[in-house]
Amino acid sequence: MIAGSSTQFPLLSLLLWLPLAGVLLCLLLRKSANACRWAALLFNVVLLGIALWIAFSVDTGSSGWLLYEDYSWIERFGIRYTLGLDGISLLLVILTAFLQVIAVLISWQIDYHPAFFYALVLMLGTAVLGVFLALDLVLFYLFWELMLIPMFVLIGVWGQQRRVYAAVKFFFFTLSGSLLMLLAMISLYLLHGDQTGVYTFALDALKQTELSLTQELIFYICFMSAFAVKVPLFPFHAWLPDAHEQAPAAGSVDLAGLVLKTGVYGIIRFAFPLFPNAAEMSLPVLALLALIGLFYAAAIAFKQTNIKRLVAYSSVSHLGFVILGLAAWNQTAWEGSLLLMVNHGITSAALFVMLALVRQRTGSNDLANMGGLWQSQPKMSAFFLLFAMASLGLPGLANFAGEILILIGTFASKPVWASIAVIGVLLSATYMLRLVQGVIWGPCREPMKKEDLLPREWLLLIPLALLVVWLGCYPQPLLDPIREPVTALLQGGRP
Amino acid sequence: MSLLELKALLPQLLMVLGATVVLVAGAWVRNRRLWLLTGLVLALGAAFIAGTVEPPVAEVAGMFSTSLYARFCTIAWSLVIAATLLLSGRYADLHRYGGGEYTSLLLFAGTGMSLLSAATSFLGLFLSLEAFTLVLYILIAFNRVDNLGAEAGLKYLVFGAVATGFIAFGIALIYTASGTLHIAEALAALQVDGAMRPLGLAGWALMLVAIGFKISLVPFHFWTPDVYQGAPAPVGGVMATAAKGAVLAAFLPLLDGLGVAGGEIKQVLWLLAILTMLVGTFSALSQTNLKRMLAYSSVTHMGYLLIALLIGGADGGQALLFYLVVYSFATFGAFGVITSWALEDGEVQNYDDLRGLGYLHPRRSSALALFMLSLAGVPPLAGFFGKFGIFHAALQHGYLELALIGVFASLVSLYYYLRPIIVLFMQERDAHQLRSGSGEEFVLLAGCCVATLFFGIYPGPLLDLIMTLLP
Repeated sequence: MIAGSSTQFPLLSLLLWLPLAGVLLCLLLRKSANACRWAALLFNVVLLGIALWIAFSVDTGSSGWLLYEDYSWIERFGIRYTLGLDGISLLLVILTAFLQVIAVLISWQIDYHPAFFYALVLMLGTAVLGVFLALDLVLFYLFWELMLIPMFVLIGVWGQQRRVYAAVKFFFFTLSGSLLMLLAMISLYLLHGDQTGVYTFALDALKQTELSLTQELIFYICFMSAFAVKVPLFPFHAWLPDAHEQAPAAGSVDLAGLVLKTGVYGIIRFAFPLFPNAAEMSLPVLALLALIGLFYAAAIAFKQTNIKRLVAYSSVSHLGFVILGLAAWNQTAWEGSLLLMVNHGITSAALFVMLALVRQRTGSNDLANMGGLWQSQPKMSAFFLLFAMASLGLPGLANFAGEILILIGTFASKPVWASIAVIGVLLSATYMLRLVQGVIWGPCREPMKKEDLLPREWLLLIPLALLVVWLGCYPQPLLDPIREPVTALLQGGRP
Repeated sequence: MSLLELKALLPQLLMVLGATVVLVAGAWVRNRRLWLLTGLVLALGAAFIAGTVEPPVAEVAGMFSTSLYARFCTIAWSLVIAATLLLSGRYADLHRYGGGEYTSLLLFAGTGMSLLSAATSFLGLFLSLEAFTLVLYILIAFNRVDNLGAEAGLKYLVFGAVATGFIAFGIALIYTASGTLHIAEALAALQVDGAMRPLGLAGWALMLVAIGFKISLVPFHFWTPDVYQGAPAPVGGVMATAAKGAVLAAFLPLLDGLGVAGGEIKQVLWLLAILTMLVGTFSALSQTNLKRMLAYSSVTHMGYLLIALLIGGADGGQALLFYLVVYSFATFGAFGVITSWALEDGEVQNYDDLRGLGYLHPRRSSALALFMLSLAGVPPLAGFFGKFGIFHAALQHGYLELALIGVFASLVSLYYYLRPIIVLFMQERDAHQLRSGSGEEFVLLAGCCVATLFFGIYPGPLLDLIMTLLP
């Protein structure tokens, strides 16, 4: 399965460590807020450029790793520095770079220790990219945990009143699952070493480990406890609304757009291929939890008065949809799940951007203080409406393409699940319309603090809007690169 | 004792003779900085000699080994002493420490610790252990005007004296059972199943109590928070790192030598490890004083180290020494930050006084945050690979329950390691400006930070080095 060679230019390492170079630069330039802002923007734009350049220069239709790097690292434990990029990682890497640019732009006005803020945002970028690229279990774990620190500080320092509570909750929920995964990783490594005499944490080698079903199930549960918290799968989602509510705008964008995706990515890259029999057994349970999450989160979202919490619960609901597609276990549903992951990344990021802009004008996140945005800010309201429609799955806009593929794929193998899920889609319309109704329409409650869209905000919203429309109408360019990897994962996953 | 044996003891001799000279000459030349600098040079010199001069004999006077392992320990503890002397410059000015006493005492402590890790005879072990414990009694109470310091010194003295009794009686029993004071021979004698074996085990049990006191295992840990709180911060740094490390390093080969006879001992250690991890962690949760929190944190870390100690062999030894090194960098660094922040009327230890300090003193606060995260075992900091090594060794040798409890304890411990970070960076600023750090303090803290980061990203060289030390 390994194609690329490690003799060529280490493009993946460049991609991975570029944001970290930005962190250092930001800390050096900490005296000047403006310099930091521009440095952070520049680094992320360059990152996006490299990611797109990779997308256009490699043959995305081919099977195997498009790019691959492998170096010796810690020989005592058989830990290697192994990075690999396939179609799935490629999409997520581009998404990461794009959302990082958005995250910097939406936090352009941060004036509380801006250097540290941008440094943390950049550091989060390296961590997320590492998760999407690492093929050695310990390397993966390192980046997986590295996500926690910048996110914790972003929420804890730049958040709102209950920020410390939310930050600590976030840290604990995610770490408790991860530590179990670490133990399972070491046990798997020892078992593999005892069987073959080769002690290694390489994903490809560990896939060959012979495990009894009991062992597989225990390890699988340990891995899934880490991933399910991050996704977040019902009932492990309790940290997400608090984190979103308290986080600054850039934190919310990265959280919804990127951090949640790492959970799904971990499931398809690590949990399923390593433990295929356990995964197969767990599919009905996963589907059940996904469906419960879909409905439960939608119902809770409908009751929220805080708009950030509302959108946070909508994330839980949408990610339930993604997991449902994975549980259906066929090509169409998986492609739909991956597509919805990217689409949700963009629409949820767009919604959090809108909420941040609304907050800048009304000074509040509470529906009770809102209304009548259309009267004073028609241009902004139009964007708001567009993104809300995309989020609820209006045909022709981003989320629809993914959702319909998931439904088609799921219906083919499990018609009952699909039928129930359709009702879930309907529910997402109710809370989204409530959001739109509460923010845009109705009487104007408070005088706005700012005029309609500024040039910088146009710059921010137009790419998002174009993407939302483009991905809704013509998602094929995203489906092409993931076809081969999905086929490989589905075949390799299930015996 | 032949001349060759003296040459083998050169690093220790350098420190102990140097300490004597400093003590005597310090009575006339009351120049604090001069003596600190002399001590620094002596400690570094000892480390250099231990690292470069090949010892001509394998064992000195049948009491102290000159193995690679012993030399590594000598280097490590001398460097800790050197770092403490470097750190103490302004702290000593602040508290108007006399001429050479402080320096000389620290050098004596370094000698004792390096001899302890090298001991091959119970006599040598007892003498060196007492040598540095005695010095610590004085150092803890070194701030004469500080009531807490006096209380801490007295507390440590009482507990320490009891421990001394235990260890002496334990050695006596082992001697009765085996007929020799040489550790290797005594251990070999205890391997044989005979009428004397219960007596030997009783001796071991008493020794364990004493070790428990020295490295503060639960339930012998009660002195730890009070003593850490009362002791001057640089001395606290030595106590939490080198003093405990020396004891652990001395007992690692001892337990290995027990072989099959160690079964009963290991059961006790197993229980102590669990108790220490859990009690240490849960006691630390409610602390609102940085030094007391660090005390309980060190108790918890001793629990982790106990896992490695009872596994023993190459796997356990490697995990233990690696963990000890990374733990020492982080803990010493934390005490370094406290030292650097100390005011004339005392050290800033309470979380209430640290509130919002992160933006007044960003460099030292960030360093403290880094050390806390390393102690918590968050990657990519060195503490992560320390814990990784210990859990790895535990799973490899079938101690799943210890690994699970260790994971649970580190999850809980996260709460109290995050608290200083929250207090420093996420609470409203009402802290007043503390001292701005001196150059040597920054050098030292930067060194600890670099080590904490480097061994987290690239632990390979240190692991390889440790592998060559173990038999």
